[in-house]
Amino acid sequence: MTLRNGRLGRALSLATAITASALIPAQANAGGGTLTVAMTAGDIPVTAGTPDQGFEGLRFVGFSIYDALVRWDLSHSDKPSDIVPGLATSWDIDPVNHKRWIFHLRDGVKWHDGCPFSADDVIWNFGRMNDQKSPQFYTQQYAFNRGYMTNFDSIEKIDDHTVAINTKFVESLFPYTMSYVVMVSKCRAETLKYDWQAFASTPSGTGPYRVDRFVPHERLELVPNKDYWDKNRIPKQDRMVLLPMPEASTRVAALLSGQVNFVEAPPPDAIPRLKGAGMQIVMNTYPHNWPYILNFVHGPFTDERVRKAANYALNRDDFVDLLGGTAIPDYATMPPTTPYYGHPKLYKYDAERAAALLKEAGCLPCNITLAMSTSGSGQMQPLPMNELLKSQLEAVGFKVDFKVMDWNSLIEIGRSGVVKYENIDGYNGSRALLDPVSALIKPVAKAYWSPAGSNWGHFYSDDTEQTAQAILTEFDPDKRLALLTKLHEEESAHAVMIWVVHDLNPRALSPKVHGFVQSQNWFQDMTPITVDP
Amino acid sequence: MLTLVGRRILYAIPIAIGVSIVCFSLVYLAPGDPLQLLLPPDAPADAVAMIKHAYGFDRPIPVQYVLWLWRVLHGDFGVSIATRRPVLLEVSGSLYNTCMLTLFAVPIAFVIGYSFGAIAGCFPGKWIDRVVTGTAVMGVSLPNYWVGIVLVIAFSVEIIALPATGMGRGGSAGFNPLVWADAQYMILPVITLAMVPIGILARSTRAAVAEVQGLDFVTTLRAKGLSESAVIRHVLKNAMAPVLAVMGLQFGYLMGGSILIETVFTWPGSGFLLSKSIINRDIPVLQGAILVLAMIFVATNLCVDLLQAMIDPRIRRA
Amino acid sequence: MSLTQTAGTAIPAAWNDDGAPSVRVRTYWQSVGVRLRRDEVTLAFGAIVLAIVLVAIFAPALAPFDPYKGSIVGRLKPFGWRGHPLGTDELGRDLLSRLIYGARSSLLMGLVPVVVAMLTGGTLGVIAGFAGKRVNTVIMRMMDVFYAFPSVLLAVAISGAMGGGMLNGMIALSLVFIPALCRIAETATAQVRTLEYIEAARATGAGALTIIRHHVLGNVLGPVFIYASSLVSVAILLASGLSFLGLGIKPPTADWGLMLSTLRDSIYVNPWICALPGAAIFVTSICFNLLSDGIRAAMDVRL
Repeated sequence: MTLRNGRLGRALSLATAITASALIPAQANAGGGTLTVAMTAGDIPVTAGTPDQGFEGLRFVGFSIYDALVRWDLSHSDKPSDIVPGLATSWDIDPVNHKRWIFHLRDGVKWHDGCPFSADDVIWNFGRMNDQKSPQFYTQQYAFNRGYMTNFDSIEKIDDHTVAINTKFVESLFPYTMSYVVMVSKCRAETLKYDWQAFASTPSGTGPYRVDRFVPHERLELVPNKDYWDKNRIPKQDRMVLLPMPEASTRVAALLSGQVNFVEAPPPDAIPRLKGAGMQIVMNTYPHNWPYILNFVHGPFTDERVRKAANYALNRDDFVDLLGGTAIPDYATMPPTTPYYGHPKLYKYDAERAAALLKEAGCLPCNITLAMSTSGSGQMQPLPMNELLKSQLEAVGFKVDFKVMDWNSLIEIGRSGVVKYENIDGYNGSRALLDPVSALIKPVAKAYWSPAGSNWGHFYSDDTEQTAQAILTEFDPDKRLALLTKLHEEESAHAVMIWVVHDLNPRALSPKVHGFVQSQNWFQDMTPITVDP
Repeated sequence: MLTLVGRRILYAIPIAIGVSIVCFSLVYLAPGDPLQLLLPPDAPADAVAMIKHAYGFDRPIPVQYVLWLWRVLHGDFGVSIATRRPVLLEVSGSLYNTCMLTLFAVPIAFVIGYSFGAIAGCFPGKWIDRVVTGTAVMGVSLPNYWVGIVLVIAFSVEIIALPATGMGRGGSAGFNPLVWADAQYMILPVITLAMVPIGILARSTRAAVAEVQGLDFVTTLRAKGLSESAVIRHVLKNAMAPVLAVMGLQFGYLMGGSILIETVFTWPGSGFLLSKSIINRDIPVLQGAILVLAMIFVATNLCVDLLQAMIDPRIRRA
Repeated sequence: MSLTQTAGTAIPAAWNDDGAPSVRVRTYWQSVGVRLRRDEVTLAFGAIVLAIVLVAIFAPALAPFDPYKGSIVGRLKPFGWRGHPLGTDELGRDLLSRLIYGARSSLLMGLVPVVVAMLTGGTLGVIAGFAGKRVNTVIMRMMDVFYAFPSVLLAVAISGAMGGGMLNGMIALSLVFIPALCRIAETATAQVRTLEYIEAARATGAGALTIIRHHVLGNVLGPVFIYASSLVSVAILLASGLSFLGLGIKPPTADWGLMLSTLRDSIYVNPWICALPGAAIFVTSICFNLLSDGIRAAMDVRL
């Protein structure tokens, strides 16, 4: 091992020497360094506004180049992450009209191109994403933002630093949605005569990073925006290089050979080897789960007892072992650190109880058809995990028939919903539980029945429906928190999913990387990081 | 000669049209929606309709084909659904990277394959022939992506000597194969890529040399009392043409067939672009990439045909 | 040539102009048998191929463990761990058993598309060669179009477009092989069609089908069969390549290409185990190649 370390050390120093000489000419100053990130994305996320590649796109590109009105607080690893002011310094609900939100905009913010940020920019950005008649309308951004615009109706300017957004229905949690919608520079777009492809190669936002170099499909190089409005978040490294590396073994190889110094989602099997080579492995709980989303219209899972049986059948500790400790058991929708976790019913492993429930429900053997993908964003290690799931379900009396498909085919099933795929009893789609609407309301509320929303299996129950409605119309944060807790507990009582694990999102960092704080969030703040030469 | 060129090119046109139809229709076999890449899973129906319209996917497929072909003939392959970059730009950039590999791999394969094939052909039936022929069969039976993995295990995992993936510090922009810092990234993929052509070229060289050996003029040369080395020089020169033809075909073949190796080494070439666009269902890129690669193949075949005809008058009449 | 790169040299011209009357076929096959028996190398590789086929057929009896049952505590274990001679894979399944079962899908993917292509391509070729000019043009130009794709590209494009899976992979490979076989059948048919004895048979009023059965098939089958035999190893390589890319056989089926692809994520745990499925592909493909070479040599005799 020492021999290997020695070689690696040499390889690393050689690689850094090369990188340093190649990328940072004479003006290199102490401290900073170049952070080179291996992302799991298959391509560089889109740079012309809201990115693709899921939340990873927002994590590394969207929130680096741009800001949204609302920002996620990513500065702590030991407490749940919530929203804080971003380009808007504060927001409040119109006391008489609960469908009208007032956002007070930050003063003195400048775009990367030097133009000042004002209310007109915000109005213009919403046109870009929604108004097909406006010159700045961009089809791609229209598409990418559809999920965030469900409740957006119109926007108006109150003064240079205040805007009002009207929503279609009353939604007390609306500001969360605004945290995903990033603002791009009207100035730059107008200079480029709305050539969005040109904009994508020379983007201009208000974010903590500027784009320095963009090689399509291969790399995006960002440098600190020294004029960033939040002086605490001016990046401490000299440069951040983003590389797409969808294959796990490729990312490991790149880290070991010194090609990169920050790797997303190293495969659990490689973690001992990485630790042996002196790499830092960081992980933290965050609002993600890896469940089965169920069919409530046809098949065995319409019976609550069968759903409970499936949940009792799983020994989740085995999954954690399988994943080398990079996950925690999931007994309810949210991870236990969530403020609205409450005291949900926990279906801890109980094979006898599961078998008894199946017998009671008269489903023996209980034939179920499950759809799963071979890979995909947030899907963790779908093949081994589903093999384990199958063996545990079959041990109590289920008979599992897998439909194995690629990620896009699974997305198609998830989008079309239970009406089109009535023979599928459940599908394995990992979920981002970042904001309470996506986490708790969408999976159970009738308004989100597929294909219009993400209540894939058309779940309905009077109690959850009432609680969900109450949450959306409750503007008092404390009362709303109590209601959210209640909904979380109700979902557990109905066993609305088969819960398996929460990912801990492991990352592997070179020993030269300092200052990274892994927040309890899908998003991460890269600005405090420094890299030794 | 000119009529021959004209005839061959005319002959290639209906094939090209057929190829374009195949390329276009292939992607409509695909299950799933090409636009799921763009829209969130819970996008409302009107948004889906609007996007379909904006990308022209709401028209009847034959109409889409004609429009697509018309634009392609004008050099416009459309834009990628995923990146909104012009498909031609995407394809040409990745082709350049693939060329970088093939332009090194094919000559290396030629030199090695030709030398060994020639030695074997000069001593048919001798032990050296058996060794070369045996090795050549191994070469053509190799799953080359496996060779790639084995090389990675040996040189990047067991000993960290060579980088396993990618194009290095700056990516393809500014990649310079003459600088060690960049060139080291090419070594494993080029070796892997050359493996199969070495076998094929060795086999065809051996066959060509053996065939020329049996021709009358060689017997005549020997009868005239020419030294054995001079005879062999003649033989090798005459055997060169068919082997060069095989080499040309190999080039076209590797351009379109490097997808597996580019996947193993995450080399940002045309094969990599292809597999990515299959996974993403990025239809314009998929169509464009397949079309361009097939056209390159058709063109190399055509060139090889014509060159052969120029060298060997017997073919011209056929 | 271009389509089947790894097949190496093309069919010897001798085959196309032999024009042997069907009466002499029996003695010809006898001499082929004699030549094969004398060729020890081919016999040896033929025996290995036979052994692989037997392993595939009797996989359930030979495999020491269930290839689909694993245990998460026994993942990625080294050679000889607790009675697993070749260790275990990423799901703790016995690697030897999976390699044994993997022979099934590899042989299926190697043989079925070749047989399908031989039948359809051969039939199309005979029709094209025997029927008039217009039919010939339609069929052969269509073949030219598919011929214009490098084989890997065509296989990946078709299988990828159709969403992968064993059946789609087989369809893709069949489509890849049909044009070459069709061309060979067409050439052979066209050559015998104009021969005197067929003209004579026509003159006596024999129907097209009778003529094809009695006079054409004997001359077409040989070259088509030889060529097809050389395609088996190409099919095995292409099929495992498709599975490797995730466009072929789907998990959890034991398949060498797929195993290579899933084990690749574990090269940092147990590097050399990951290379085993590739070695199996290599051995099978080389044996089929040498067997095909031997059969070709044995059949390549002037009568």
